[in-house]
Amino acid sequence: MNKLSWHRTPLLTIVFFAAKEIRALVRNITNLLPVLAAVVVTDKLWVTYSVIGAYLTYIVIRAVLNQRYFLYSLADDAIHLRSGILGKTNLTLKYERIQQAEIDQSWYLRPFGLVTLRIDSAGSAGKEVEIPGLSMTRAHYLRERMLDGTATADATTECVAGTDAVAEQAVDTAVTKPVKHIQFPLGEVFRAGLIDNKIFVIFAVLMYPITQGDFFEELVIPWLTKQLSFIQSSAIMSIGIVVLTILVMFFIAIGLTMLRYYNLQLTVVDQLYQARMGLLSIRTLGFRYEKLQRVQIRQNIRSRLLRRYTASVNQLQPRATGQQQESTTFVLPILTVEQLSQFCQWLGLPRTDTLLWQKIHFISLLHPSFWIALTAPAIALTCYFNDVTGLVSLAIAAGTWVLLQAYAVARWHRYGFVIEHGWLAKRHGVFGRKENWYPLYKAQQISVYQSPWLRVLGYAHLVIHSAAGTEMIKYQPYQTAVALQQEWVQRIGTDFRRWM
Amino acid sequence: MNLSWQPVEPAYKTYLQLVVITDMVILALIGLIIYILPTEWQWLPQPLWVGIPWAVFTLAMTFIWPSRRLQFTAYARPDEAVFLRRGALWQTTRAVPINRIQHVEVRQGFIERTLGLAHLVLYTAGSSGADLSIPGLKLATAEQIKHELIQTITQQPIAQETHE
Repeated sequence: MNKLSWHRTPLLTIVFFAAKEIRALVRNITNLLPVLAAVVVTDKLWVTYSVIGAYLTYIVIRAVLNQRYFLYSLADDAIHLRSGILGKTNLTLKYERIQQAEIDQSWYLRPFGLVTLRIDSAGSAGKEVEIPGLSMTRAHYLRERMLDGTATADATTECVAGTDAVAEQAVDTAVTKPVKHIQFPLGEVFRAGLIDNKIFVIFAVLMYPITQGDFFEELVIPWLTKQLSFIQSSAIMSIGIVVLTILVMFFIAIGLTMLRYYNLQLTVVDQLYQARMGLLSIRTLGFRYEKLQRVQIRQNIRSRLLRRYTASVNQLQPRATGQQQESTTFVLPILTVEQLSQFCQWLGLPRTDTLLWQKIHFISLLHPSFWIALTAPAIALTCYFNDVTGLVSLAIAAGTWVLLQAYAVARWHRYGFVIEHGWLAKRHGVFGRKENWYPLYKAQQISVYQSPWLRVLGYAHLVIHSAAGTEMIKYQPYQTAVALQQEWVQRIGTDFRRWM
Repeated sequence: MNLSWQPVEPAYKTYLQLVVITDMVILALIGLIIYILPTEWQWLPQPLWVGIPWAVFTLAMTFIWPSRRLQFTAYARPDEAVFLRRGALWQTTRAVPINRIQHVEVRQGFIERTLGLAHLVLYTAGSSGADLSIPGLKLATAEQIKHELIQTITQQPIAQETHE
């Protein structure tokens, strides 16, 4: 072990560690509620100031110490980390176990030409490893090497310098390897903002502090009414203000998405897929093709109107997190039909218009229809006892029943799966649509599930556990399900290709 | 592919019965404490209304459920996978390909130890539901299967690259 040379990150990364502390504070804010309550309740100003001051000092000291004790070392086949102030952690991570590596040019490190390297490993603890304050050249070299999975990195990637490294590297390697490239113009990114609108998230974030405690009611509302009393006199004006607020939030939401995906470009070199995006903080996400566990193609109502698709690629998901965090998933937020089929072709997805999606038996409608049929009399009775005339109650009940039943039938109609060229795909959804594609040979477990109800009917659900989530194919005839299970397990069990 | 299903030990039924009784006794104790505590218990139903369903449920779970479950529970080990079927009313047949197993574990709980039983857990990299746990094995059998599985896994060819 003595041949390891330990590096310390630059002093500037204290900012990074401080930002990490602040993020931790926001995440654990509920633990600090008693303190916050004390700050809000007390009328002595010095209490407030001392609490805030103490916390700031604490953050600064912790950040300085964390930076001081954070050491990393890069060996030929693994990365070693040492961190921790009192409780020390030693971490060794093999390059070949890395699922995804991301280069994050945070806005506060970007002016100094420094980046943060973020690595997802296949460990069950689900820990993300972050190395702040690397130079761009070094980070790119490292990432290339990690994603390559082998100790021999390409010479072409070492001599890359400057901030536009990805583009240059693309040019550099074009000589030896075919490069595939998609650039997303600003208009497309704006559409992505329309599709991926976080307006409700912003609402929720704003509403949370408003609903907490009496502070708002006692202080803010009286102040507002005093300031805005002239508005209340006019109904049009108050409606106008509400509409304006919603509009502003709508555009803020679009803006946030655009900040994130600004100048998005996808580059595929050999088996390495990378996406570069961002206006203030530039992020570069990348993964190797063989780590792919699931491809998800989504459309919500807005993207269907705009005729665009969203595609995301998942790798092995650590057990602890369950769902891979949205921020670290490889997502292409906006793809035209042509771009999507291009991307699918690169990934080897046999996704064509002539695919024969297999439907499930219509007997699967029996169960939802039963519950929908029960709601109709319930609605009729509720209406009737709330002084609605009999005829109107009947009409409302019948109307609701027809709508719900039609939705159930549409759901069944859209539900389908297909097995093609070793890929398993399932689609579902009526208004928003979703397609999940799995390389079948990477599945971890195949189950056949029968509830008493399914046993009466002679059907079973087929459950596929992949390394990136669980998929269920409903209502297969029991014999078919068992036969499929045995066939697939045999196929997986005799397939010795790398699966992660 | 014809699977040869291996049943688990009959002592598994005793184990399930013991588990049921322990759980139901704990439930009963909690109920007793609620009724005995000098609180305003006007809104609580008569003790019999709770006691009779409890007794019926306990009897059913002790005498019907474990035997049904024992009857269905079995495992099979063809060359390339491990199959396990489990459940009484809600039945699941799980299958894990051998080359997807991450690690193998033999576990013994307190009740299992008194009966000389153990269960064998096969972990995969899938989401949390993707583990396979074979219950009701003799400790020696469990150890032996574990040993054989590990032997098979180590003898498998090393993963090849997937470049097409």
